[in-house]
Amino acid sequence: MSETVTPPLAAQDQRPPGPLRSLLSGYGLFLLLPALLLIGGVISPSFLSAGNVSNLLLQVAPLAIVAIGQSFVMIVRGLDLSVASTMATAAVIATGFSGANGDVFAIVAVVAAIGVAAGLINGFLVAKRHVSPFLATLATMILLQGFRFAYTQGAPSGNVPPLFRTLGAGKFDGIPCNFAILLILAALLWIVLHRSAFGRRVFIVGGNPVTARLFGIRADRVTISCYLISSGLAAAAGLILSGYVGLVDNWVGQGYELDSIVACVIGGVSLKGGRGSIPGALAGAAIIVVIANEVLLLGLPIQLQIIIKGIVIVLAAALYAR
Amino acid sequence: MTQPTVASAAIRRWFQNNASLLGVIVLIAAVCVVGGWMTDRFFSLGNIVNVYEQSTDLALVSIGQTLTILTGGIDLSVGSLISLSSCLTSGLINGDPARVIPVAAGVLALGTLIGVLNASLVVSLRVHPLIVTLGMGAILQGATLFYAMGPVGKVPRDFTFLAYGRVAGFPLGATIAVAFCILVTLFLRYVALGRQIYAVGDDDNAARLAGLPRTRVLAFVYGCSGFCCAATGLYLVARFGVGQPYTGVNYTLASITPVILGGTALSGGRGGVIGTLLGAYLISLVNNLLNFMDVSKHYQLVAQALIIILAVSVYVQRRRTA
Repeated sequence: MSETVTPPLAAQDQRPPGPLRSLLSGYGLFLLLPALLLIGGVISPSFLSAGNVSNLLLQVAPLAIVAIGQSFVMIVRGLDLSVASTMATAAVIATGFSGANGDVFAIVAVVAAIGVAAGLINGFLVAKRHVSPFLATLATMILLQGFRFAYTQGAPSGNVPPLFRTLGAGKFDGIPCNFAILLILAALLWIVLHRSAFGRRVFIVGGNPVTARLFGIRADRVTISCYLISSGLAAAAGLILSGYVGLVDNWVGQGYELDSIVACVIGGVSLKGGRGSIPGALAGAAIIVVIANEVLLLGLPIQLQIIIKGIVIVLAAALYAR
Repeated sequence: MTQPTVASAAIRRWFQNNASLLGVIVLIAAVCVVGGWMTDRFFSLGNIVNVYEQSTDLALVSIGQTLTILTGGIDLSVGSLISLSSCLTSGLINGDPARVIPVAAGVLALGTLIGVLNASLVVSLRVHPLIVTLGMGAILQGATLFYAMGPVGKVPRDFTFLAYGRVAGFPLGATIAVAFCILVTLFLRYVALGRQIYAVGDDDNAARLAGLPRTRVLAFVYGCSGFCCAATGLYLVARFGVGQPYTGVNYTLASITPVILGGTALSGGRGGVIGTLLGAYLISLVNNLLNFMDVSKHYQLVAQALIIILAVSVYVQRRRTA
């Protein structure tokens, strides 16, 4: 047997977590979000205004969609660094068309193809060639980036069709379209992860690959599926984000690879695999967006956004560490 | 079968001990053959010195990164730390020759300190280095932007000697990188702390049970990585003549590629810095060759990604059959 088995977490460190720590790691996340909202409301009156809340929902959707995919990959002990590159490539190539509504089918097909291709490369390298996920997705990231620059020759052109403008930035009664899309996707994938046989297999493969094999689970197929879900969602999020921004450049979604990982870590998805949830990833993404928004509303220097994000990710991970 | 001579036995033993270097040596040879066949200027002295010189920054960061990866960790704060070091260097020197030595020493000390801080967070919070250094990277980037939003300060003309100077015909910066690499190799082989790095990376639990000073090993490794980042920051200031707040961004992920190409396992415990140095030369050679072939910058990214995928696939193949 060539794989090395990491011993269960409990065996690595006998010290049990203290009561406060276990309380915080269990429920801290769902206390932190309301607390942040409350603080925001107290400090800045405009924070909880209908307009700002609607904007928050608008901003959270692309990140949350990517974070959902990231959580699938992280639960099977992976990591997907290629999501931002997938987003930008999908957006840039999709909007290389004329920008009329007639192109919608072609665009969706191209975007789906990019998502599937990226997911297959990642999944194949990780599951079949046993390449470390960090490295495999890093290579895919650079590869897609290269193709993107080669396709655009450095200067992307084209327009976003009106339909995607509506999906990405439109609002109905204050509810952004892209947030509605997020809710539908989240509900579907919640069922897939938490209520289906496939979801159980995802957790078993992530929790202990050897057990999974003894159960007769085709771990490689489960892993590849997870990478496909992540890349597919990233491609969709790229399209939605370009609809929100209204134009495309080569760096649509820059920073989303790390932000989505941060969202998952804040949301209690374990980097060691086998643990995590869709609501957690959603709440993690919401916390990131709310923090960024509050820093802006409070008129604090923009640099603080990055610094606070850095502190939050380390603290969140420390809370979940056992 | 012929009787093996002493020399051939020695060569064979060297290859057995350094099997992980084989991949990168073969790739370098292949690139050289293609390069020599494409253009006769490829092997001109000027071009070789050029390749050697252009690998300096990548070689310096990657040597530090190798050490963290040898312990099974990773340092994702390198990009921000390089940016911070470069801004502080040129901002504080600000054209005054008398300040060069104290500022350079201070920046190197600060880099080392931040690395040690990374290690102490990893140990005390029991959080994966990936998360700790990611958070630290965000904090440092924010701090850098507090210090300077754009190019800052200037350095005396003599300072550029570090990047462009020649000592007995050898480019100074690149030769310092080689000397440093040899020093680290000797340290890894002959000093107890160096050997303990491999022990911790190979099996963290076993190392702890054996009573190895895990904290000291991690402090050394991350401190060394921080030192290398500061050195790279100094070098980049010498090359560009000014410090910039985003100058290091690309090094975070780029620093990992030479490490992997050089045969160091991301899972830790196997590899060395000589391979990393060769990996940095390989990347420099490939970029040089693609420049000769008039391949646009955009396709160079594709080529780089394909090399990574090829290399990691081959390594994994060999490891499994071995």
